[in-house]
Amino acid sequence: MTKKRERLEVIKDILESVKGTRSIKPTRLLYASNLSPQMFKEYINELIKKEFIKIDIDKKEKKTFSLTKKGYEFLQEYRVIEMFVENFGL
Amino acid sequence: MFNLIIENKEIIKLFYGIVIGLICLIIVLKTDRLFRISLHQGIRYFRNAFLFFGIGFIIRYLLGALFSYEFFSYSYYPIFNILFEFFLIMAGFFLIYSLLWKKFEELHEPYRSSLLNIKIVVLYIMTFVLVFLDYIWKTYSLMFFSQIVLFVFASLISIINYIKNGEKYRFLKFYFLAMLLTLSAWTLNALALLYFNWNQNIIISSYILNVIIFLLFLYGVVKITKK
Repeated sequence: MTKKRERLEVIKDILESVKGTRSIKPTRLLYASNLSPQMFKEYINELIKKEFIKIDIDKKEKKTFSLTKKGYEFLQEYRVIEMFVENFGL
Repeated sequence: MFNLIIENKEIIKLFYGIVIGLICLIIVLKTDRLFRISLHQGIRYFRNAFLFFGIGFIIRYLLGALFSYEFFSYSYYPIFNILFEFFLIMAGFFLIYSLLWKKFEELHEPYRSSLLNIKIVVLYIMTFVLVFLDYIWKTYSLMFFSQIVLFVFASLISIINYIKNGEKYRFLKFYFLAMLLTLSAWTLNALALLYFNWNQNIIISSYILNVIIFLLFLYGVVKITKK
């Protein structure tokens, strides 16, 4: 059985997907995130609220997501957060 | 050396309270950024534990020392002891809960207060009962025994974590050591109460153990967060 991904890991995976493509359409990001649409929506709302990603709207009014400076910082600090959580058994 | 410490007991207590209060403050501040970025519940409960330890020690030893210099009337003294017990017991609960929270909370549960949610309220109620009974019976024994039971469990959890991931995550062995030392410190306190009439040498040994335990945690936090 596959281990359920932790919240932190899900956020990292979403941000990595956005980073990998510079800007990504919501549907592609949903597939890449491997989450249910409901969960995906919750995570995206949280990431926007925390200013890790932003929504860009082009001339044809199509939405894409791109990474913010804070989003890059999270990815850089992810290893430290992971080390902290694992070393203290949290 | 013990005699020198006993002669300067009040000053040493004050210093002890300041040192542990400062260590807790550094741990809470050092983990602030990690928590804000991750909103990880485990980090949150871990920080709550050190926040409560810090408040407890400052109330007991810093404010307690002021009684010696008669800044306060002695009629207030029980209030400080009650608060000290409350914060210390809750800190122990938060620390063990930080190791176990995944078993009680859904990983994707919406973000909510870690100081006031239904599971933590149960811990508050248990703490209130323990503190109240200790106050009525004019003893510390319930605090000591509850903490001994708690840290037996914490030692077991931390040795399991160490066996599982100890090679990959090096601090897990120090965590286990810290839990064993905490268990020893509480056991020494209980022995001092029950069999040795608050023998000063035993109490001082438990103070020294406590400083080592908090320094161990500080070492882990500083080492990992500076990366």
